[in-house]
Amino acid sequence: MAIAVFFVAAAMAVLGGIGVVTFRQPIRSVLSLVLVMLALSVLFLLLSAQFIFAVQIIVYAGAVMVLFLFVIALLGPARELGRGRLRFQTWLSALFVLVLLGLMWSLFQGAHYRQPDKTDMSFFGTVQSIAVGLFTTYLYPFELTSILLLVAAIGAIYLSRKNIDDL
Amino acid sequence: MNTLNIGGSQLDTSWFLLLSAILFVLGAVGVLVRRNPLVILISIELMLNAANLTLVTFSRQLQNLDGQLFALMSMTVAAAEAVVGLAILVDIFRTRDVEDVDELSELRG
Repeated sequence: MAIAVFFVAAAMAVLGGIGVVTFRQPIRSVLSLVLVMLALSVLFLLLSAQFIFAVQIIVYAGAVMVLFLFVIALLGPARELGRGRLRFQTWLSALFVLVLLGLMWSLFQGAHYRQPDKTDMSFFGTVQSIAVGLFTTYLYPFELTSILLLVAAIGAIYLSRKNIDDL
Repeated sequence: MNTLNIGGSQLDTSWFLLLSAILFVLGAVGVLVRRNPLVILISIELMLNAANLTLVTFSRQLQNLDGQLFALMSMTVAAAEAVVGLAILVDIFRTRDVEDVDELSELRG
């Protein structure tokens, strides 16, 4: 059962990824990316990461992708021009990327992982266990994240002002 | 040893890693080949998602929650990156229509 779920979700993710790269209109790329994110959220659930699953759907597929859609709606239907003058770059990049894929594949073919920690798997990935990690061991990075978000929000407001004198 | 027992069935860890590698490579192709700046941002999001899948997979394989916490952090960074990137894009698009990132070469020395 889990194997079937994995392969359906993996096929959806790969198809969506191909769609992101190949569709000519940006809005179709965004919708393909939403498909990828939903498929990945299913995989997170398989990997017993319930909280990440919820965050993936709410924050990523919900908020970030809606932001992309808003920007596309704001900018109007932009189409990509035909191929540019540097056509050989396409083939060169395809070659490099295939080499990269082969490299990664060969890396984890003969990989030996260390012995798993003895964790109680009944609480693994629940909101409770995530919160314990976030508010004890990783409290400092967690608080720094709020500063990062604040800086990003201020930066976005500053960048999207009408003209210099507004602020 | 490298299999995960999920709901009674055995899934190989390297399947998840291979899927993540494929998604990452697709995102890299998007960044390298596409020329619409918006699509390049979308491809970067795809690569970040692939990295998240790797983090969660290893978190499950090693039965250690640190990977999931790091995936959460990377989601936050990705959201901040998308916000700032899109704000810059809107600012550029306000003055002119950009269909090719190679046109944005004012900073060239």
